[in-house]
Amino acid sequence: MSYLLKYVKTSIVKKQLMAASGLLLCGFLLTHMAGNFLIYFGPEFFNTYSHKLISNPFIYIAEAILVLIFLSHICLAIKVTLENRAARPEPYYVSVHSGRGATLSSSTMPITGFIILTFLIWHVVSLKYGPHYEATYNGVVMRDLHKLVIEYFQIEWHVGLYILAMAAAGMHAFHGFWSAFQSLGVNHPKYNCCIRFVSKAFGVFVALGYSAFPIYCYLQGGN
Amino acid sequence: MTIKKLDGKVPGGSIQDSWNNHRFKLKLVNPANKRKYRVIVVGTGLAGASAAASLSELGYNVDVFCIQDSARRAHSIAAQGGINAAKNYTNDGDSIWRLFYDTVKGGDFRAREANVYRLAQVSVNIIDQCVAQGVPFARDYGGYLSNRSFGGAQVSRTFYARGQTGQQLLLGAYSALMKEAAHGKVKLHTRSEMVNLVMVNGKARGIIVRDVVTGEFSKHVADAVILATGGYGNVFYLSTNAKASNASSIWRAYKKGAFFGNPCYTQIHPTCIPVHGDNQSKLTLMSESLRNDGRVWVPSKVGDKRPPNEVTEAERDYYLERIYPSFGNLVPRDVASRNAKFQADQKKGVGPSGMAVYLDFRDAIKRDGLNVVKEKYGNLFDMYERITAENPYQVPMRIYPASHYTMGGLWVDYNLMSNLEGLFVLGEANFSDHGANRLGASALMQGLADGYFVIPYTIGGYFADYKPDGLKTDHPEFEKALHESSERFQRLLKIQGKRTVDDFHKALGKIMWDDVGMSRNAKGLQHALKEIPAIREEFWRDVRIPGSGSEVNVELEKAGRLADFLELGELMALDALERPESCGGHFREESQTKDNEAMRDDEKFCHVAAWEWQGEGTKPIRNVEELKFEHVKLAQRSYK
Amino acid sequence: MSDQHNMRLSLKIWRQANSLSKGQMVDYELDGVSPDVSFLEMMDQLNDKLIKEGKDPVAFDHDCREGICGMCGVVINGQAHGPEKETTTCQLHMRKFKNGDTIVIEPFRAKPFPVLKDLMVNRSAFDEIIKAGGFITVSTGQAPDAHTLLVPKGDAELSMDAAQCIGCGACVASCKNASAMLFTSAKISHLGLLPQGQAEAKTRVLSMVEKMDELGFGNCTNEAECEANCPKNISISNIARMNRQYLCSAATHPTM
Repeated sequence: MSYLLKYVKTSIVKKQLMAASGLLLCGFLLTHMAGNFLIYFGPEFFNTYSHKLISNPFIYIAEAILVLIFLSHICLAIKVTLENRAARPEPYYVSVHSGRGATLSSSTMPITGFIILTFLIWHVVSLKYGPHYEATYNGVVMRDLHKLVIEYFQIEWHVGLYILAMAAAGMHAFHGFWSAFQSLGVNHPKYNCCIRFVSKAFGVFVALGYSAFPIYCYLQGGN
Repeated sequence: MTIKKLDGKVPGGSIQDSWNNHRFKLKLVNPANKRKYRVIVVGTGLAGASAAASLSELGYNVDVFCIQDSARRAHSIAAQGGINAAKNYTNDGDSIWRLFYDTVKGGDFRAREANVYRLAQVSVNIIDQCVAQGVPFARDYGGYLSNRSFGGAQVSRTFYARGQTGQQLLLGAYSALMKEAAHGKVKLHTRSEMVNLVMVNGKARGIIVRDVVTGEFSKHVADAVILATGGYGNVFYLSTNAKASNASSIWRAYKKGAFFGNPCYTQIHPTCIPVHGDNQSKLTLMSESLRNDGRVWVPSKVGDKRPPNEVTEAERDYYLERIYPSFGNLVPRDVASRNAKFQADQKKGVGPSGMAVYLDFRDAIKRDGLNVVKEKYGNLFDMYERITAENPYQVPMRIYPASHYTMGGLWVDYNLMSNLEGLFVLGEANFSDHGANRLGASALMQGLADGYFVIPYTIGGYFADYKPDGLKTDHPEFEKALHESSERFQRLLKIQGKRTVDDFHKALGKIMWDDVGMSRNAKGLQHALKEIPAIREEFWRDVRIPGSGSEVNVELEKAGRLADFLELGELMALDALERPESCGGHFREESQTKDNEAMRDDEKFCHVAAWEWQGEGTKPIRNVEELKFEHVKLAQRSYK
Repeated sequence: MSDQHNMRLSLKIWRQANSLSKGQMVDYELDGVSPDVSFLEMMDQLNDKLIKEGKDPVAFDHDCREGICGMCGVVINGQAHGPEKETTTCQLHMRKFKNGDTIVIEPFRAKPFPVLKDLMVNRSAFDEIIKAGGFITVSTGQAPDAHTLLVPKGDAELSMDAAQCIGCGACVASCKNASAMLFTSAKISHLGLLPQGQAEAKTRVLSMVEKMDELGFGNCTNEAECEANCPKNISISNIARMNRQYLCSAATHPTM
């Protein structure tokens, strides 16, 4: 066991764990987005779905795993970033990108990561642990999340911040998705451009897909 | 003060068997006893790195020194074209005998036959060794090694790794060295410059080293010292050598009594990028493989300054093809260089300075297509364009000869030991197997042959009759040598004159190039013999070296090396003057055929000149080693 | 040659007396720089001037000046080896700059590359990485005939692509994390792609990465600035190959 643990500390495995957790989080982003999309089918559909989800006893295990994934990704990110800082104690007087390597997305990973983390806390506090409304469908009393989100997104700065955070998430995935494949060594000249494309497309899809949601809610409330 | 007749210690018997017989006759050192011996290797190029690694594998303790920050930087790395080996993989009639024959003839009958034969013999092992080390030689589609013809050879015996063969071979030798360093048998001393040789009781027993970062001197003792410090082409200031390449190690040894063989044999490479101006610091070589497809020409008319593409076919003089119909553009380096100079002297040179000729790929591109040419020479073309801002796919390259390799060096016997016991000299640093001219792709071969396959045997032969005596660096000879060196650096620092080191180096270089360069005559050489001591005297009076000796002081390092070049340059001129024949790279205008070809004087000069230092202000003695040609008949070279 | 085009430059150069002292940027003016000279020849010109003025010349590493030894390397205007693609500092020519330009020149910076003086850094960490396994364990004389081992042309070419690394350290210098993954992976790929290198492939990747980490290089964040600034255009696909090999080797190596 100890010799396996030794590997966890190496630069490569750390990055591979970040890659694996990152890819799982990408999967979470997709499923969460799929859940969000149900709002377009009306309050009953949306609330019933979320009720089924949170009343399932396995949700606690799933949430625990999700928290674990988030935490490991975040902790590794912090560790890696600190180590990277330490590897160059004296900064350059001038530092520019060649224009052939780093992108805005790649060079802002720690920043977008931090934005996402901050957003995440705000998001969980204000929605998951936010005001509790109730609704009844077919005699079942359940939480009226639909009402909550519509109400929540009536405040313009909520919409703005949400979209900003989702842009950060998109940016993060724009580089992160491809980067994960590179870290795991999934790389072949035949498929590299494909992975690159999917990564970029995924980033844009995340940003746009999630941003559509608060805008829809905002417009719904106006009616 | 008597002239010595030197014995090369060539083993008797048939030349084919001499190396095998000799190896058998050499006494062996018991494997358990090898660890009692310590060997110093100075230089980490092909010869030094391969020797150090191989000796360490045998069990000897090895201390390795280089002036760069890593053993991987030695200038062997810059060799582009390839390495010869008599594998006959191409079925075109190559053999050990033919490689031997070509090398003796190419060297214009001024090399030791037995050495050259051994070189040809072990050439095949070198390729095997390098492949096993992971050198990524070019391959054919079937996975077999690919060969090309190179530098005037009429068979395809050259193995290559794109245009970076030297790099790949050196990295192979470097990796072998690092493997041994990992095992702790090799101790690496980087950024360390050898500044003196220590002789104890007539044997080479150690060196004094200056750490170029701290300026500290240190003493190192061993049972044998191997110098593999490369050539002295930088005596010309502008050369294709690396900036730090120097003659100081061999010059220190010379001044301790080692003989200097044939100092005047220098090779001027025909295909270098021409000089751009006064601030030029070095010249860049373009692989001569370019001559396989490029055609060399100048305008037929004197002073024709039109752009090359406006000069019609009829107005071009493809002079190499005209004068040497059978070898054409592939004549040996000395012939190609001299002819380029001849064209420039006739005012037919091209480019802004007039000191260049064209190397044109127009016909090759027409014949084989742009892609084929690109695949073969792409990296060289890119390099050319980077330096000159001209696109060689569209306009012909401009090339001109430059100092590139020195065939001369410390005299060694068949065992690669100098006349000083325990001092071995390998690679370009020795007076070598190349005679008066080296063929293309043979330098890498010689460096690795010496290091991998000769010294491991011959040093054993030396050690078998030598008992380690536990000598320590507190011996007074070490103290004396260290003092000598630190005094010398202090003297340099104290001058505080007005001119920079480079100023003096450029002045020396100009004299060397003009009078001791591609073409020499008595008058010029006498002029050089008068001028060089004058520059040297001024150097010791007026050089300015800032800073101190106890820190990184690049000017001080350069000054130490230049002080040696200023003495070596004089010896080169003296050697050239006292060899009034022409041979290979040494062309005396007084000795040429009616077609302006080099004319040897085998009657009087079929020998090695091995110079012996006699102290400051005294003319050195010219000892000789007679050369016998029993297997390749002495004949005037002809490439027509 | 083109004297009429000579340039005047403002130089901002990092000066540091030795590894223990603190350094700073110092301004210099240099006149009469021909566009045909190389960057290092421009530095020579500056040093010539400094020596004649009785000042300490700028120390910088260099040797072959033809882009192959890997000894030279400074950060020019924020880029390792300067602005030109696939070009070492010594092969960069002043025609890439304009009259009146300000050029900022700094040493390669990384914790494992301490500054020795001015622009000169100690890169022996690279030697340490190679020493950890960047070789094939074969002794002189053991080799079979070269043709007993066939290497598919494609593999030989890929191996050669990686083997071209000159060990200059530009990858580390240009990586915002000072990571040495490109250098290390290039050697692992060079040897690992050849059949000769298979026998110790697993040990090699594990030992070299361990050494690399131990020396204090940063982690790779896949930004590819190393590839972009590499004078030999070494591809980051080598890093992916190393990552893959590392994972497999760590999972399956019997003893490490």
